[in-house]
Amino acid sequence: MGAVMNLQDTAGHALAQMRAAGFEHAQVTAAHSQLNELNVNHNEPSLLRSTDSRKLSLMGIVDGRMASTEVADLDPEAIRSRVAGLFADAAAAPRDAANAVSAGQHTRVVKGPQEAQLDTLAAKMGELLAFRQRETPRMIVEEADAKHTLYRWHTLTTGGSDLGGSLGWYGMMVAGSAREGRACSSLNYAYGAADSLTAAPAVDFFGIGEMMRQTERQIHTEPLGARFVGDVVLSPDAVASLLGWLQGHLGDTQLIAGSSLYRASVGQPIASSLLTLRSRFDAPGVAPVSPDGFNAPPVTIVREGVLQALTPSLYGSRKTGLLHVPVAGSGWEVAAGATPRAELLAGISRGAVVGQFSMGNPAANGDFSGVIKNSLRITDGVVGPALSETMVSGNMSRMLREIVAVSRERIDSGGLLLPWIRVANLHFS
Amino acid sequence: MDYTETRRHELRKRRLMMVDGHLTLNSQTTDAGASARIYQGGYWGFASANDTTPASTLRMKAQAGRNAAAMARFGAKDTRALPGGTYRGEHVFRGRPAIGQQECVERMAAIHAWCKQRYPDLVSTRILLQDEHHSKWVATSTGSEVLNSIQRAACAVTFTAIGDTGTPVELYEPISAKGSLADLDLSVEALAPWLDQLHGHLQAKRHSVPARGGQHTIVLAPDLAGILAHEAMGHPCEADIVLGGAVTGDLVGQRIASELITMVDVAHTFNGEEAMIPVYADDEGTPARDAVLIKDGVLTDFMNSRETSQRLGLTPTGSARAYAPTDEPLVRMRNTVILPGTRKLADMLSEVEDGYFLMKTSNGQADSTTEFMFGIPLAYEIKAGKLGRAIRDTTLSGSAIKVLQSADAVSDDMSWNCAGYCGKKQPMVVSMGGPALRVRAHLGGE
Repeated sequence: MGAVMNLQDTAGHALAQMRAAGFEHAQVTAAHSQLNELNVNHNEPSLLRSTDSRKLSLMGIVDGRMASTEVADLDPEAIRSRVAGLFADAAAAPRDAANAVSAGQHTRVVKGPQEAQLDTLAAKMGELLAFRQRETPRMIVEEADAKHTLYRWHTLTTGGSDLGGSLGWYGMMVAGSAREGRACSSLNYAYGAADSLTAAPAVDFFGIGEMMRQTERQIHTEPLGARFVGDVVLSPDAVASLLGWLQGHLGDTQLIAGSSLYRASVGQPIASSLLTLRSRFDAPGVAPVSPDGFNAPPVTIVREGVLQALTPSLYGSRKTGLLHVPVAGSGWEVAAGATPRAELLAGISRGAVVGQFSMGNPAANGDFSGVIKNSLRITDGVVGPALSETMVSGNMSRMLREIVAVSRERIDSGGLLLPWIRVANLHFS
Repeated sequence: MDYTETRRHELRKRRLMMVDGHLTLNSQTTDAGASARIYQGGYWGFASANDTTPASTLRMKAQAGRNAAAMARFGAKDTRALPGGTYRGEHVFRGRPAIGQQECVERMAAIHAWCKQRYPDLVSTRILLQDEHHSKWVATSTGSEVLNSIQRAACAVTFTAIGDTGTPVELYEPISAKGSLADLDLSVEALAPWLDQLHGHLQAKRHSVPARGGQHTIVLAPDLAGILAHEAMGHPCEADIVLGGAVTGDLVGQRIASELITMVDVAHTFNGEEAMIPVYADDEGTPARDAVLIKDGVLTDFMNSRETSQRLGLTPTGSARAYAPTDEPLVRMRNTVILPGTRKLADMLSEVEDGYFLMKTSNGQADSTTEFMFGIPLAYEIKAGKLGRAIRDTTLSGSAIKVLQSADAVSDDMSWNCAGYCGKKQPMVVSMGGPALRVRAHLGGE
């Protein structure tokens, strides 16, 4: 829709202006994203969106004082004015010797489909709606989309780093509930990103078809009606909640505040030996580059339960004295296990298959309680009815240690590749 | 009949984070763009770009038209004209003159220094300041021409201490206001009582006990009634969620709550004062009106857009709003409130033999079944009418209908806030408010 923008020139000019304004260190990223997205609402195609967004992100340091900004107006005069404002913002900040920018980093990444094929988007949405009508007619697709994103960027720093590229990817998302008469399931969803959507039917991507079938199974629910300690089989979406908590404790905010449970745990077991968590920075829509301008080589965070690395940024590393481990904004996988998914249930006397956790933020020590949504009762190893108004409570850190099985099968949603995981000893109420 | 809307949209945000005296975030951002959305043959086309010149708007209109036309491949649809009316007006909040980054940093540093001296037991103090300013110029083919300018500011403080078990215990609390950070009194003198209270609660939480999982008599402090209104019944009363199959679709005219409960999504004015997120006309140029969702316990109305009001045969409420320049308007809450009752909070607590007093919330989620949950980082036991021990972080959940039907007391006071975001495909600034409520609900725990 928009003209092609020379990102390297834009970033170069902005960096020159940052230097001219008096910044001693600076990082500049010029970015251009184009989105074509076909939307469905309430089972019907509804909207086609085309957006064209340009953005300049500036971070500057003077005398150890840092400020950052983003602007959408790339007119040279507007940039000059904002750089002057940024200098004033930085001058107002306290001096902090940990502020720094990357140096000597170079990469060019071009991957994924670089042009949107609207016919592909329409065909995939057509397949999805036909599947719904044919296989899951009680499912109401509240919203769905099929989209193509092209993201181009160029990052330069005063330390000589020069990173850029162009990522293209397709994505699909489906969210909705199923109804029969006045009975209604909980909202359910599936989504993901891929380099191509043509290799398989739409519903074979990201677990979409299974989600729609499962949602129909969840129209009629029963409360648990009992309090007990039992096992859960976490679906990949619920596994993502567990990993999100863990990764929060490995990153800047918790490490700097001293509230990370794992700051002194590198080299020590923090999880069951069945858990291995590693990067997949080559995933669709992901570039192996960190937000603070470093190449992000593959990294294993947890190997067979042992913590291998924390993930502070350059700033976090300089602030805490911990080793800097650059990581991309997304792109993670949990290694597949040895247990067929169907066998994860074996031996569970009482418990649940958990579709999603709906919960408050876990406490700083990992304690949590939450509603389990899109979830099914397990009794004596057999899956029973869908559950309503059922809560589980436990501790995230303990859950990592109480993993007792990991499935062979995984769902690939692009940024995450995750199995089903069985965890013991959660409190049901 | 076709419908066209164009929007010129500027979104300015400022965020500063200080962790133990170190400024880890010092950012100001500006997003801007022009968009067009066209309804043609029952389909929508949307296009946006950063360029906000009239020429760009014309290009967006042309692209949006092509996009709507391209949707015709999916077959014929309902082509009735969209309702919604016309509005012309400009609404800009005139708060105090904005303060600069330097003043923000100085105030954060002063708060941090005061906390460090006064609360030596804390292992960490985090202070977040943020404000954002949305300016949207909307024009429609129905003749609407609107400038909506919405501003809100928030300050949040997080204290971390070490609990009895040797692990960290945190407590976070935001305060918020309409306007920019200049409209919040961030002086140490003004904040000291609030910080002392937060620290006192953290001390209690260091020795907290687990909640007993299951159904209990719960008194929700006024700070929580707003999120109950928003999550529990607000989302299921959004017309697009109703069209998606929410159970509320079958319940209009039926009693779904205690007769003590009246719940309103306020458009712009409450009790003669402008609301925190005032919407006089929405981003479809529809004149906004209050949506009385529950009247004396009976479900009465839904919030809607031009399209959903046509689909459901409802009077438009002016509830369609877009968050960013690249977003299309969706049905969103504005200022959702449960109206106050006549009881005193102290009396409501003293009448509870065995239950819990829930004081703060972190986040919440809703469902089309009206099953909801929200996180509870601060709560106390109630034993024989008196507050007891603090309890550990927990989650409140239940069917909103069952919970609201169980309400047997509503206090006469009110608490409003506009600190958080509502998430529904796009984020959105909203406000919420309410009195204290006494209900039966499910607490997570052992």
